Amino acid sequence: MQQQDKYRIALLSAYALALHGFESLIPMPIPWLRIGLANIITITAFILLGFRAALMVTLVRVVIASIFTGSFLGPGFMLSMGGGLASILAMGAVFYVAPGLFGPVGLSLIGALFHNLSQLFLAYLLFIRKIEPVLFIAPVLIMIGTIAGLVNGLAADLLIKGLKNGGDKIQNTAEWK
Amino acid sequence: MKREFQVQRSKFQVHCLLAALCCILIVSLLSCSFKKDQIYRKTMILMDTLITINVVSDSSDKASKAMDRAFDEIGKLDKLLNFFSSSSELSMINRNAGISAVKVSPETLEVIEDAIFVSEKTGGAFDSTIGPEISLWDFHTRKMPDDKTVKERLPLVDYKLIRIDRNKSTVYLEKKGMLIDLGAIAKGYAADKAVEELKRQGITSGLVSCAGDIRAFGLKPDGKPWKIGIKNPRPANKEDEIMATVGLSDMAISTSGDYERFFISNGRRYHHILDPKTGYSAEGCRSVTVIARYGFQTDAFSTGVFVLGPRKGMELLRQMGFEGVIVDKDGGIETTPGLKGRIEFKGNN
Amino acid sequence: MSLRETINGTTAGDRVLFIFLLLVSFIGIFFIKEVLPRGNEVVIEVEGRVAYEYPLDSDRTVKVESRYGHLTVEIRKGKVRVVDASCPNKLCEHQGWVSSGAIVCLPNRISILVGSQEKPKDGAVDATAG
Repeated sequence: MQQQDKYRIALLSAYALALHGFESLIPMPIPWLRIGLANIITITAFILLGFRAALMVTLVRVVIASIFTGSFLGPGFMLSMGGGLASILAMGAVFYVAPGLFGPVGLSLIGALFHNLSQLFLAYLLFIRKIEPVLFIAPVLIMIGTIAGLVNGLAADLLIKGLKNGGDKIQNTAEWK
Repeated sequence: MKREFQVQRSKFQVHCLLAALCCILIVSLLSCSFKKDQIYRKTMILMDTLITINVVSDSSDKASKAMDRAFDEIGKLDKLLNFFSSSSELSMINRNAGISAVKVSPETLEVIEDAIFVSEKTGGAFDSTIGPEISLWDFHTRKMPDDKTVKERLPLVDYKLIRIDRNKSTVYLEKKGMLIDLGAIAKGYAADKAVEELKRQGITSGLVSCAGDIRAFGLKPDGKPWKIGIKNPRPANKEDEIMATVGLSDMAISTSGDYERFFISNGRRYHHILDPKTGYSAEGCRSVTVIARYGFQTDAFSTGVFVLGPRKGMELLRQMGFEGVIVDKDGGIETTPGLKGRIEFKGNN
Repeated sequence: MSLRETINGTTAGDRVLFIFLLLVSFIGIFFIKEVLPRGNEVVIEVEGRVAYEYPLDSDRTVKVESRYGHLTVEIRKGKVRVVDASCPNKLCEHQGWVSSGAIVCLPNRISILVGSQEKPKDGAVDATAG
């Protein structure tokens, strides 16, 4: 990995963290419901810098956010980590199998889907232990996730195009810092 | 050139994806609407007991209709054969004992003939004319008759005093005071009738249990036979309620036990299975389970074998070609040879 | 770089996936109820007909009447019991709190089915003789 990439990963992780924190400020009707704004950065990292970078960004974001909120290695962290990993692994797999089939929006949808599926599965394993409520909530969660995924994907798409256009400037800034 | 190829490749992928997703969607939709065979179950209180019907069907409407018809059939029998209802045909026969022959419906005639058949086979150990004796007892209020009355009424208990005229479809009890009580055969017979009705309704697999008298036909949706539990006559706790299980298809099963209706007085257990020869509770067994083709057989023979006791009872089962399990008064369990390997005993039994 | 351009710039795969997921989850929301076994509930049948249906987790007391008599059913903390029955033997009252299975009052022709009426688990019997 090039030195420059490390800077970029660090910068993107910082953005992801910021979005993660920002999102927790938005009031939600149901507490565990999340838009997953940080996924915008994950997708951006994935498209621009590749799978390993996106994985790094996810790991850094989940670990540091949990340390900030004091839930490191707690059950919430497990859910967050599981969701993040499943999401990035699924995106990577889909991109590897069929490159060019999906743009950022498609990847975001895949990411959201697997994020939800893994969280449902982990919630079933760790807390609920009953399959009925999990199955019951699954379609609702997937539907919300799909809509949020679309929004995130479009945002990521805009961001990527923006970065590519004015890329020099941002890259320079990153290097300069 | 290369770019064109890439574009074509991506178009091809899109088509593949579209096709795959459509397939998944269609398959999942189909599996939702394409109905699988399922067990439908309905329970009703009829014949003063809890009756449960299970049917295997691919449609809940069909299942529900068939079950309702079967329940109607049982309800009809309840009206004909209820010992306690004054409007039943059975009550008419009993009221006219020693007076006149009573014209009855084919079902009533059939079940009384069946009862006489079992009485003959059991040498009177099963006798539906036990009515005068059984009505002396009340196992809820621990009412015990005095010995004199019991002995006085014994001559009224004799199945040979039932006169049946098939051509006229009449039943006549020769002695005044005689009472037919079909309590030990009617539920098994009802299970038979319910199964017949279910089959007429196009059901190929089901299970009818009239309290503990069960008739199974066909197989469950998973291809396995119906799994029937046999009650433990002396359960130590809730987990211990079933002593054994047996898989059944196209067979009936009944268990008669001294634990169903009883009270204990002066260290002696008085229960509802009376010996027609003495008028008192039969003492040789704790419970008798009979497995045979028809519900009327298992219901009545389980009572008859119980009265005969373990040794003679086993002999009768062998003669009749029935299967069964006898728990004797000391808790010893004996099963017919044909059941070995098919019956599964639980725990340390 | 406008939003409209971005939307137009999505691949066919993106769009198919989006619509597919929306459709599946939408169907799921409606079908999952049908497919899933009923949750825990209390069904009270009077003379063979369903008269009351309550979720097991909502506390309440119901008076149930039939042509033969009446009884009072209490639902509390996921359990059910009969507190007052008009029948002479009061077997149903003696059964106490029940969290699954059934309480049956034969004299009154009332049955109370408790818990999920799903298919029996493997190993459970379909009926019991005796």
